[in-house]
Amino acid sequence: MVEPIYLFIILPVAAFLMGSLHQHLNRWQVFIFFTVLLFSFYLPIPWLIHLLKGGSTAQVFTAGFLPPISINLQIGIEEAFLMTIINLLGIMGAFYLLHHFRGTVYGPILYLVFIMGLNGIIMTRDLFNLFVFMEITSISLYSLITLSGSSENLTAGFKYIIASGIASILFLIGTIYLYYLTGTLNIDVMIASGYKIVGPAGSIALIMLLSAIIVELKQFPVNGWALDIYTASDPGIAAIIAGGSSSAMFFAAYKLLPLWSPSLSSIIAGIGIMTYVLMNLMGLKQVKANRLLGYSSIAQIGLLVGLSALLLHSTPVTGLTTIWIILGGLLINHLLAKAGLFWISGLIKGESLSSWSVLRKYPSLLFIFACLLMALAGLPPFPGFWVKWNIAMQLAQHKQFLWLGFIMLGTLLEAVYFFRWFGLIMKSELTTGIRVRISSLLPIFTGTFLMFFISLTMMNLLSGFNFNMLLPILIATLIFALKLIPGKLKALMTIFIIMFYFYFLLPELSGLYRLFAIIFFPLSALFMIAAMNKPGYRNGYFELLILIVLSLGNLLTSHTSLQFFYSWEVITVATYLIILRGVKRFDTALLYLVFSLAGALMILAGFSYSYAVTGSTFLGILGSSNSQITIYILLVGGFLIKTGAVGVHIWLPGAYAETEDDFSPIISAILSKTGILGLLLVLLLMGKSFAANTELNTILGWIGVLTAFLGALFAIFQEDLKYMLAYSSMGQVGYIVLALALYSHLGWTAALYLAFNHIFFKGILFLAAAGIIQRLGTRKMYEMGGLINRMPLSFLAVLISIIALSGVPPLSGFGSKWLLYNALLEKEWYLQAALAFFASTVAFLYCFRLIHSIFLGQEKTRFRQVKEASLWFLIPQYVLIALIMLISLFPNIIIEPIAQVMADFIPATLSWEGNTLMSSLGYWNGNVIMIITMGVFMIPLIGLLLRVRSMQKVKQFNIVYAAERPDKPETTHVAHNFFPHYQKALGFLVTPLVSKFWAAVSEWCHTIAGVLRNIYTGNGQTYALHIVFMVVLIYILAGV
Amino acid sequence: MLQETVTIIAYAFISLLVITIYGLTLNGLVMKIVARVHGRFGPPLWQPFIDIIKNNAKRTMIYHGTMFFLGPVFRIAGGIGTYLFIPAIHGSEVFANFSFSGDLLLVMYFFFFGQLGMALGAGESGHPYSAIAVSRGLAQMTAFEVPFALSVISLAIQYQTLSITGIVSAQQGGILHWTVFTNPLATVAALIALLGMNMHSPFDIVLAPQEIPIGPPTEFHSAYLGLLQTNRAIFNLAKLVLFMNLYFGGATNILILIIKTFSIYMLSVIVGVSFPRFRTEQSIRFFLGIPTILGILAVIFQKL
Repeated sequence: MVEPIYLFIILPVAAFLMGSLHQHLNRWQVFIFFTVLLFSFYLPIPWLIHLLKGGSTAQVFTAGFLPPISINLQIGIEEAFLMTIINLLGIMGAFYLLHHFRGTVYGPILYLVFIMGLNGIIMTRDLFNLFVFMEITSISLYSLITLSGSSENLTAGFKYIIASGIASILFLIGTIYLYYLTGTLNIDVMIASGYKIVGPAGSIALIMLLSAIIVELKQFPVNGWALDIYTASDPGIAAIIAGGSSSAMFFAAYKLLPLWSPSLSSIIAGIGIMTYVLMNLMGLKQVKANRLLGYSSIAQIGLLVGLSALLLHSTPVTGLTTIWIILGGLLINHLLAKAGLFWISGLIKGESLSSWSVLRKYPSLLFIFACLLMALAGLPPFPGFWVKWNIAMQLAQHKQFLWLGFIMLGTLLEAVYFFRWFGLIMKSELTTGIRVRISSLLPIFTGTFLMFFISLTMMNLLSGFNFNMLLPILIATLIFALKLIPGKLKALMTIFIIMFYFYFLLPELSGLYRLFAIIFFPLSALFMIAAMNKPGYRNGYFELLILIVLSLGNLLTSHTSLQFFYSWEVITVATYLIILRGVKRFDTALLYLVFSLAGALMILAGFSYSYAVTGSTFLGILGSSNSQITIYILLVGGFLIKTGAVGVHIWLPGAYAETEDDFSPIISAILSKTGILGLLLVLLLMGKSFAANTELNTILGWIGVLTAFLGALFAIFQEDLKYMLAYSSMGQVGYIVLALALYSHLGWTAALYLAFNHIFFKGILFLAAAGIIQRLGTRKMYEMGGLINRMPLSFLAVLISIIALSGVPPLSGFGSKWLLYNALLEKEWYLQAALAFFASTVAFLYCFRLIHSIFLGQEKTRFRQVKEASLWFLIPQYVLIALIMLISLFPNIIIEPIAQVMADFIPATLSWEGNTLMSSLGYWNGNVIMIITMGVFMIPLIGLLLRVRSMQKVKQFNIVYAAERPDKPETTHVAHNFFPHYQKALGFLVTPLVSKFWAAVSEWCHTIAGVLRNIYTGNGQTYALHIVFMVVLIYILAGV
Repeated sequence: MLQETVTIIAYAFISLLVITIYGLTLNGLVMKIVARVHGRFGPPLWQPFIDIIKNNAKRTMIYHGTMFFLGPVFRIAGGIGTYLFIPAIHGSEVFANFSFSGDLLLVMYFFFFGQLGMALGAGESGHPYSAIAVSRGLAQMTAFEVPFALSVISLAIQYQTLSITGIVSAQQGGILHWTVFTNPLATVAALIALLGMNMHSPFDIVLAPQEIPIGPPTEFHSAYLGLLQTNRAIFNLAKLVLFMNLYFGGATNILILIIKTFSIYMLSVIVGVSFPRFRTEQSIRFFLGIPTILGILAVIFQKL
């Protein structure tokens, strides 16, 4: 192991040599530069290994004296870890900056000094020495920033000097006072003699020191200068500031943490977390990429600062504990991701966010970009995800729920602007400005690769390695690598993989999980047959499908809430990406993501609350008796968002309707059931004594039935075929929620029967819609008409499915209605039953409108030559029809297994008498009904057929029309605004109040962000004033 | 087993035949009554029979497409089916029909079977009035089903069963056991809904003579119209028998059935000759107003 003191010898010496001998060194200069950097990277590694193996923390005393006389350095596990990653970043950053440094000798020199300063800040245990190293980094950084000499750089650098100058003064005065009080400059001794830091002098000293640290950490509001630096300086430098100097300064703050009194400590926590929230809020208004990254960087450091103050101050921790993994993980996640983003920004010529759309031409860079964004947003499989999870758990354990709430808000805001940016890149016009250099790409790729590796390590450390959790991602990546396989082959492969996985999964599952596995695997594989129809490679589509479906399997096999949440988030992100592929405007996909992430955060909060109470993430128990209401609300709320319940449904129509036509059936029929699975799990795992009796179920039931009603009502006013089906899905899932809320055997049986039936008919409807839209090229129903002659098979499929939807006997829909009403009446939910009935009659309206506008009425001239929908769409439809017919004729083959599974949880109230299903109120024999209906239908039909001879089909317009002869199908086909009277009578119910509400929320967020960011005037004097104000504020808040 | 099945089917045929003849006579009678109220002489009592025979005797040579052809078949299948799922006469084996296959919910949903099929047939005719009328009819249907559903729920609470036979037996033993006396609110709500179902004025917005002559059946002629007219008698009776069973104690023999159903029908007739037609949205608002409130009250009072 090399003594760390050599770092402070070799780096300056090298810098000195490079400066003085540069005329003679020529090419050797680069060699020396990298050798020295490599050395600095190597130095802490043996220490890290040694310390991880249990070695003791080393102290280095300079000049042979002990403190307080000497300056001492310390290299413990934290120091070694941080130095390793900062110096690694140093090398990667240097590599990236090579181009920038070309032609100047000062760049590399300053860079070396800067790196040395960072290492010094990390290792020193002397307060004054810390000040010195901070000055060294400041000065070298200032010089690095202004190296290119543009006026923008100079002013930004000057503002930096002003701010860091004031900070230095504060720091120095604080240090002097502390020295006066404690008689030492050594931080450890100072902490040990903390009792001496009392009185006005002590408080003032601490406040000044703290203020200086806060300025250096760029916390809100004293960070205007930092934003200007991020915006103005070269992205390579910005990367090293965001990653390196921020991390080192964070570590300095961490070292001083034990010095603060509890009140100061909570001020730090408050400032840190407020910085996180507010910076992310203001990020919403940014249009320049670098400035946005600046906001995000500051926010991330704020989070680190806040968390360290919250988690570490109260309980001193040593060694490799979870808290350390959180902070370390967060730091490294931020450091690598942010540096990577800054590095990419250096490649792109434009400043604006949309100018990044050029990335679309470089799929691998785009992939990296997406990975970095996901890492920062805390999504799996990146380190940020493990951090997010554990932050929630730890904060909940420390009962810091308010702070947890703020952090979640900040996370959500961050995700909003990052993914809006991603959407913008994917959907805005392609730009051309990019300069790709190998030297720039190498650090970017290395960094991302490292992040995967670190994520694996964190997974291993925090939850134990689990291959199943990685499998979906691995398979998807593998398929992604096989780029040149044609889409059809990939579709086949996808179906095969899914069925193969199902084959292995099924024996592991039992009961309820098995039923959901049938929903998730064979049925989605069936829907994927439709994908065979599309030509081309469709890169990404099948990979994401595999990712989604296999992760659905992982949801079912989850034993802990972490595993569940991991798969849940993977599904959310993959679904977002697949929606984004298909939509024309990115905001549809963004809306989906924002609501889904908000839901996921609620679920996370629920799990963390449960963890706080039970101390376990095992998915067998959720909460204890006094916490169940909160957990119930959080979890149910989160899952309700996924089901598109009324109030949080506004993401649903766009996501279902605007996505690719062959994905719509999957998202609306299959993926909507994940929310149902979640709700069912919550009700099951909350414990019967609570979940069966809580009044909250009544509220859940009302939400369900209102969703059913309003979904149907929205659907009848749609002119767009897919929007109508989307709203219909919303309504149908509302019934399932209602049935689940009943918490009775009959209710849950009804819920799952409804779920299966919904998959069957909604699958057919969306597949049929896909076939029609492909042939016609329009989604507007009034532009269609009379297609029964051109697409008889599609017509028959739609006919069967709307009968199954509307609940008209003898098809399967009646079974679902019968079960539902019996369950509702059994539970004495009478008014809900009435509203559900109303909703189901309203469903007739859109069912008829659907089939009439498309297939009946007058045929349009331009669609005379249209052919039947593609066979690939028809095959799954007819399989589904066969399934509907089967369960209509023999309802017991589906109801019996469901009822049996549910009887494991709640005693059964259903009984069978032959084929007759008996509830406490009524009875129903699907089999006989089918036969009777067939009979009463066939007799008149045969009679009529015998009556008629030599039938002739009349031509179009051959109708009795009051002596007029219509000749235009457009004016004769009644389809547009089909229910004007309903609009007049009940239209007030579909006023988009919810959309308006969320639009207002968004508007307010942006307005507040806009107002807030006005404090960043760009004026150095204002920034100085901010610092003064902050000092005063801390003084007041500290209450001295 | 086989003999049993054959017996049941044979009984169903007898029951259906009786009800068809009665239904057609009832329609003739009502036409006569309405005409007299209008001050006309009116057609003979047996006019519906003549109409059906005439229509069936005509040539049926043209059609607009498969669904158009099947529309009337759906319609009459819906009418017959609805009737056959209701036990018509309490305690009678012949008139028990196929009520063993499902309860009240089945009947309520089977109402829609014929409507949906007919709407599809009318839709394929391509006649704009047909589509407009279907749109009106469906819209009004959703509205009047609300008070009816509430009323049925109230009955389910009252009798703790959804079996029609069960509800009828619970009302036996005297006139005061009838639902109309034990649960007047539910009965009133349901009877108002029945006005909508029977589509006499002011709720005749579907056929709407002089406005969209004559709505869905516009394009249907000869044999198709014959089927529709036959259905009108059967379906009408099915509804009346259902209401008789639910609210007026059912019937123990055919005479009581005739008296009760005739009386219930007179309500629609009297209202029909007294009021002019609603617009569709007025009709929707009407049913979702007072009748729905009455229905909700009926549910609440039963629950208390």
